[in-house]
Amino acid sequence: MRIFLRLAAIAAGLCLSACSTPSPSALANNDPQEATNREIFDFNQKLDRWTLRPAAERYNNYVPGQVREVVHNTLTNLNLSVTFANDVLQGEPKRATQTLSRFTVNSTLGVGGLFDVASRLGIPEHSEDFGQTLAVWGVGEGPYMVLPLLGPAPPRDTVGLVVDVFFDPTIYIPIKQHILWMVGRQYFTLLDVRARNMETLDDIERNSLDFYAASRSLYRQYRANEIRNGEPDAPPPKD
Amino acid sequence: MRKLSFGPKRTGATRLLGLMFAALILTVCFAGLSAPAQAATPAEQFISDNVQNGLSILINKQLTKDQRRTQFQGFLLGLTDIKAIAEYTLGQYRRTASPGDQAAFDDAFKDYALAVYQSYFDKFSGQTLQVTGSYPLPPDETVVKTVMIDPKKANDPKPLQVNFRIANKNGRLAVVDFSVEGVWLGEMERSEFTSYLGQNNGDVPTLTAMLKKKAQQIK
Repeated sequence: MRIFLRLAAIAAGLCLSACSTPSPSALANNDPQEATNREIFDFNQKLDRWTLRPAAERYNNYVPGQVREVVHNTLTNLNLSVTFANDVLQGEPKRATQTLSRFTVNSTLGVGGLFDVASRLGIPEHSEDFGQTLAVWGVGEGPYMVLPLLGPAPPRDTVGLVVDVFFDPTIYIPIKQHILWMVGRQYFTLLDVRARNMETLDDIERNSLDFYAASRSLYRQYRANEIRNGEPDAPPPKD
Repeated sequence: MRKLSFGPKRTGATRLLGLMFAALILTVCFAGLSAPAQAATPAEQFISDNVQNGLSILINKQLTKDQRRTQFQGFLLGLTDIKAIAEYTLGQYRRTASPGDQAAFDDAFKDYALAVYQSYFDKFSGQTLQVTGSYPLPPDETVVKTVMIDPKKANDPKPLQVNFRIANKNGRLAVVDFSVEGVWLGEMERSEFTSYLGQNNGDVPTLTAMLKKKAQQIK
């Protein structure tokens, strides 16, 4: 019940903050709703501390590494259709070929995606989404936003998140339309990401003076690197 | 008896399978191509040499934990231009801070940065960095690209990318920032510090006090 009250308060905050004047610092960081975003970030942090983190800790402690790897491989393989569609939309034939090859190898030799044989054959993994495709097409990120449960999601990436759902063929298979399939898959995706990044996230939080600002910078830089496909960037000039 | 047909009567499924395997063959061919070897630039050589120096401290079993920490901190101070990093992270607030406040901040930042770097290297478990190239950053900087080789992940086709930004000041090379998978640490710290100052009326001594406290916590 408290969670719903908190969500209601955040929603109210969103409406109120739309009328308030953003601080110069918020404007400089293209984060005009910074006060509300911080509220949602705190809420997500609490939710993480109470639910996701303990679950990820238990997952790391009690589930053998090989089993976790199998879960990760399966989830990654299921997502390859989204990556492939976006590789094509971005006009990247080489990367689309890689994705198709990974899917072929891992779905056959890798027993339906349980094992990542493609990596052992030297076919590297990469991930694409419609948010990145929009960026390649020249669409700007928009003001920084944090969504309840989902975390950082500026307008461009939020649109991407919705469009990617339709690139996933499993949603068109009637039996898979069951809500448990969707929720279960999303839960394991979250658990997998959280468990794999446990140490990194702990380190950043421990070393941070302002974890919200650190997360915002991390998200933007990481996304920019994904959009560039890891190609050399031009770091900001030292003034 | 049904005849197997591979001609124009192929079904959608076999066509798709054929396309997938063609894609696989193309990818394996692409993977086999590699760039010709080139001579290392001074910045690349600087990183290569210092990776070896740093590793020799980290794997030296004759050192106690404290000795290793002290030696490694000395090594990091020689490798990096901490003052330049400190100046960068203060952003626009550097212009309005008094010289005394700036000097106090520089000292506190040095302690904080060393504590942070040390906390990352404390997790060292046999990885090494391999220089893969570099590109110039006008007017007098270079970004050296490396990949992390983890012995536990042999033949990893997508190793972690770690890049170093090298400044050349009167012939002396020094690291002024580094990135992991495209995330520059200096940029992240600058974002944090300026955000913190924005919430504290731009008061640099408040940030300095917070950095000192944080460095103690990390240690």
